[in-house]
Amino acid sequence: MPPREQALDRSAERLASKLAESTTRKSFLGRVGAAALAVAGGSAVAAAVKPDDADAFHFCGHIWTTGSCPSPLPPLARIDRKGFPLHPSSGRPIDNLGRIVDSAGYALNGNGNRLRGPDGAVLPPALRTRVCEDWTREQKGLRDLATQGAWFRCCGGRIRKLVDCCSFSRRRINGDASLTGYCWGGRRVYCVMYYDTGLPC
Amino acid sequence: MLETFTPAVCGSRKRQIVAQALFTVAAVAAAAALGLALGLAGNALGAERAVLVAAALALLAAAREAGLLRLPLPQARRQVPEHWRSELPLPVWSTGYGAGLGAGFFTFHPVSTFWIACAGALALASPVTAALCFSLYGAGRALMLVWPRGRAADPTAAVERLTGKRGALLRANALALLACGVLLALAPAAGGAVRVAQNAYDPSFHAGTLAFATQSGDVVVRAPGVPQIVYPNASQPALSGQYLAYVDGAGIRVVRWADGTEVGRVANTTASRPALEWPKVAFVRRDAGAKRIVVRHVIKGGHKIHVSVSAGVDLGRPSLRSGRLAWHTATRRESRVMVKPLTSNAARIVARSKIALVSNPSLHLSRIVWTEARSGVSYLRLGWVVPRPARALERMRSRTRAYWTTTLGSGRAFSTRWTLASGAAAIYRTTF
Repeated sequence: MPPREQALDRSAERLASKLAESTTRKSFLGRVGAAALAVAGGSAVAAAVKPDDADAFHFCGHIWTTGSCPSPLPPLARIDRKGFPLHPSSGRPIDNLGRIVDSAGYALNGNGNRLRGPDGAVLPPALRTRVCEDWTREQKGLRDLATQGAWFRCCGGRIRKLVDCCSFSRRRINGDASLTGYCWGGRRVYCVMYYDTGLPC
Repeated sequence: MLETFTPAVCGSRKRQIVAQALFTVAAVAAAAALGLALGLAGNALGAERAVLVAAALALLAAAREAGLLRLPLPQARRQVPEHWRSELPLPVWSTGYGAGLGAGFFTFHPVSTFWIACAGALALASPVTAALCFSLYGAGRALMLVWPRGRAADPTAAVERLTGKRGALLRANALALLACGVLLALAPAAGGAVRVAQNAYDPSFHAGTLAFATQSGDVVVRAPGVPQIVYPNASQPALSGQYLAYVDGAGIRVVRWADGTEVGRVANTTASRPALEWPKVAFVRRDAGAKRIVVRHVIKGGHKIHVSVSAGVDLGRPSLRSGRLAWHTATRRESRVMVKPLTSNAARIVARSKIALVSNPSLHLSRIVWTEARSGVSYLRLGWVVPRPARALERMRSRTRAYWTTTLGSGRAFSTRWTLASGAAAIYRTTF
């Protein structure tokens, strides 16, 4: 097998592992399963994420019209594997106030040191909650939100996972009728988020 | 400009209308963009610093327009590029003329009002509002292109009649600027925040007396009619009538603030964040694996634990007033502001959020104030100890500044505002 296809196969295996670990385990691609990917091989992944930098509605990879979920740094809702907010450009974790935080959740200043209050004491770790199940729920008053469907696109040479935040609401965040998208169980796409996997494509 | 947008210059009546329409759109858009930029700049500067400057400029401008002062104005005494009409297509030059005049900076101003409007937009510090206001300036520019033509067969005659009223217009302009100056100057007293202490935080207010901590490590007490009193090496003050509680190196000290007589002490270095309602003091105590709010009788010595949370939870400075205790808790998943009567275990959630940080409550009679921090905006909220809707006393749009601790009195709230980058803090008073 040519080296390029071997590399694609390894990428497909890593992608399959990440799919199995991710919160969208029951997603459409998750249901197809890592086994299907293993059978189809790297070429299937390569075909699915062919580097065409899909036509973007408001961010790369998003070819439909549903708006982004509310997030600390709108208009984009960039998340990590578990749905917590990340800085849209740097990809670093941010708290609910939009501040870069370290691994323990402490907000950092511009020098990378923990932020201190006017009394000189380090600020306690601030809130950091999930974009779909917490942010969107509280801001939009929907109690049935769940991260469900996902699809993958190649953006900037890296695989991007676009994730649906799904609700039984028949109205989406745009205000008009919602679409089924990759949601299941009667839910429809309320808003969208994305996770940059870092895998090359 | 009026004689530029004629059928002869434009080529036909239809092209004249197109040119006027493009000019209008460009003038309004450019003016709105200017307003937006000024509002953003004002936001970044902090509005309260600019309001009084804008007021002063408006009053100076009023004096200038009334002929009392001679003040030069920043001017670009230029005409629009005439050669554009002959070198560029009609859609381009008419749009360009509109954008140039709508932006305001590239043209002559006979009066100072435009510059005062710029100062006002900075002081307003609200980009969208400023954009909407400035778009009216652009619309006015466009109106002068269309209005005279509708008024008379010879539009230049209409313009000449208007210029004949110049004196009255200047007087009206001066009065308007005077009114703006007065309104801007009064704005802080009319409900806006007034800074009462610089390099200070943790205010405590009771019966007309204000105490606060300074960033140099002291506690200051300010009472009407007496010089301020300083307690060195002290922090986290709490007032109740003639008594003051504060944190020193040995725990919490309670004194008569007028003469410094010690009346009580919590000799525990893990005790902090006192709240005082004489003769009871509430404070946060760090125990092994937990944080607790304890209420102690200063004279009799008895105490009771009212709140207990695990050590990882942020337990904020309590407030003790009218037999009630208020506090906040915050984890990485949720923040809450709580209130409970001292005589009961029934705590009520006043505010909670999984996305905003609600914190630092203060009580006064049946009212409660707290801060609410969100991404890019913070609020000072005023509510009730009983279930009733709360409202925003203040809103601060900033990523570089935030609220800290609060205290509440009758018809006034005090809050700490601080700058994240430098840690510099100041105390502001807001009336309601």
